[in-house]
Amino acid sequence: MASWLRDPQRFKILLQIPIQILMNFTAMIPFALTWYVGMTNWIPQIAIEWWKAEFVGPLNFIKAVADQLFLESILRTLFIAAVCVPVEFLLGFLVAYVFAGNFFGKRFFTLAAVVPMMVVPAAGGYVFYLIFIGSGPANGLLQLLGVIKDPIPFLNDPTWALASIMLADIWQWTPFIFLIMSAALLSLPQDPINAAYVLGATKWYTFRRVALPMMKRPMMIAILLRAVESIKIFDYPYMMTGGGPGYSTQTISMNLYESGFKYLKYGLTASQSLLILITLIVVGWYAVKPLRAAQIGR
Amino acid sequence: MMKVQYENLLYTAIKYLFGLGVTFFALFPIYWMLTMALKPFAEWSPTEVHWWPWDPTTLNFLVLFFRKDTLVEWGLVKPAEPLIHDTATKAILNSLLFSTFGTAVALLVGTFAAYAMSRYRAGGDYMFLTFRMLPPIAILMPVVIWFSTLRLMDSPIGMILLYSLFPVPFVIWLMRSFFDDLPREIDEAALMDGCSPAMTFVRVILPLVRGGFAVTALFIFILNWSDLIVALTITQRISVTIPVQIGLFESDAGHMYGIMAALGTVAVIPTLVFGLAIQKYLVRGLTFGAIKG
Repeated sequence: MASWLRDPQRFKILLQIPIQILMNFTAMIPFALTWYVGMTNWIPQIAIEWWKAEFVGPLNFIKAVADQLFLESILRTLFIAAVCVPVEFLLGFLVAYVFAGNFFGKRFFTLAAVVPMMVVPAAGGYVFYLIFIGSGPANGLLQLLGVIKDPIPFLNDPTWALASIMLADIWQWTPFIFLIMSAALLSLPQDPINAAYVLGATKWYTFRRVALPMMKRPMMIAILLRAVESIKIFDYPYMMTGGGPGYSTQTISMNLYESGFKYLKYGLTASQSLLILITLIVVGWYAVKPLRAAQIGR
Repeated sequence: MMKVQYENLLYTAIKYLFGLGVTFFALFPIYWMLTMALKPFAEWSPTEVHWWPWDPTTLNFLVLFFRKDTLVEWGLVKPAEPLIHDTATKAILNSLLFSTFGTAVALLVGTFAAYAMSRYRAGGDYMFLTFRMLPPIAILMPVVIWFSTLRLMDSPIGMILLYSLFPVPFVIWLMRSFFDDLPREIDEAALMDGCSPAMTFVRVILPLVRGGFAVTALFIFILNWSDLIVALTITQRISVTIPVQIGLFESDAGHMYGIMAALGTVAVIPTLVFGLAIQKYLVRGLTFGAIKG
């Protein structure tokens, strides 16, 4: 057999060639290109090719930072994350805690609780659109219970629209926390907990002082991954409100999508994308550390 | 003694009430989508909420697969009825095609890299983790610039490339966790017996992780099948996928609620089936192998 096949170092390089090609061709080259395009005022209707667009230099980055809609969308996304992640975490943990242990119907309840996570987000967003429209079941239920007389325009009122989107996000991603925390509760060692009981600790004290510290790592990972994902939120606003009414439910992703692909301001959007990418690469680099510790350290 | 029993009973009652509440909250949207898909045109947006279809029909599903002329010919609809003129067949086939091939390429490329990371200490693992933390839209803007230069916009090749790029971090970390589960002694024994490194990988290690490989394949397929944002930015007409098509079904008569719900139902079936099949591994997948579940 050819001797080069036997060299482990060569084999290592060989294994990495495909991913290098894929990453460089579809991610790195475009990323490098964006540095140039981000400094032009490229609008495809005016100059079809990006190299024919007018070069404006770093002016675009200043424009991007001064773009009020862009800044507002960042704040709004952070607000959504700040509300949704804690609610999802507490709710998911609560469900996991109540469903822990054996009881009749556990399999059914667990299955039902996990299902929302497996729904295609675009379809889920569309269903929540159907639920919150004027003649939908959300208004129907509230009227049936006598809470309200006239239907609430859930998706046409800025506050209600944002709340509806957050509810949809909570619906879909609470199961994620539920799954992680169920696994964490299941893998808790029973000896220290029993020891605490024997020593006379109350149930609450044992939970707080013995069980919780042992679940610190899964808790951190769950919150971290949810926080990262909720920054990306796109499907729900797109399907439910399209960013409206006005711009009141526009998230970062919606904002970039609209300015790039609806208003075709490619140059400006490229520079805004770069700003978001660089910020999140720096943040992400430090944020993934606990995750990595769990992966490597076992 | 009686007091304790009452407390237990109360606790059990609360537990089941809570469980029923969770079940209702979790399943109602799915119930609503399914029933909306079975409702005829007149019931799509009634003045009073129809909690179940009063006059169920399968027409909404038929519309997805057959053209209006065909349905008129069969006498199922009247020519004047407002219906979409396009079927969703193209979108369904596109979704199947791109998700399958994208998953295949991602698996191939990612498994190689994962093995290099697990056994040969190849770097870059951290980079892929960070890559997955970035919002896809910010990565897509550069990609659109690049693809429009190459004339890859709205093309199947471009979609398959992106559907293999985005899930690659998941493949790497999942497959790596499966490789790490195997003791190193297996590799060493094979190498000792005169197997080349490549042979060790293909003949010895890969057969041992085929279960994990199947789980990863289904997981990546679900991810690709669920994607909206990539398809939305890259495709225009030729290569739309199901999630894009759900947003496209509009006509002069307004939103086609029932038809869109029917397409949503079609979209959800594979993810539900595959998701439940790999339920045991979902935690491991979604946490990049950090929690074994």
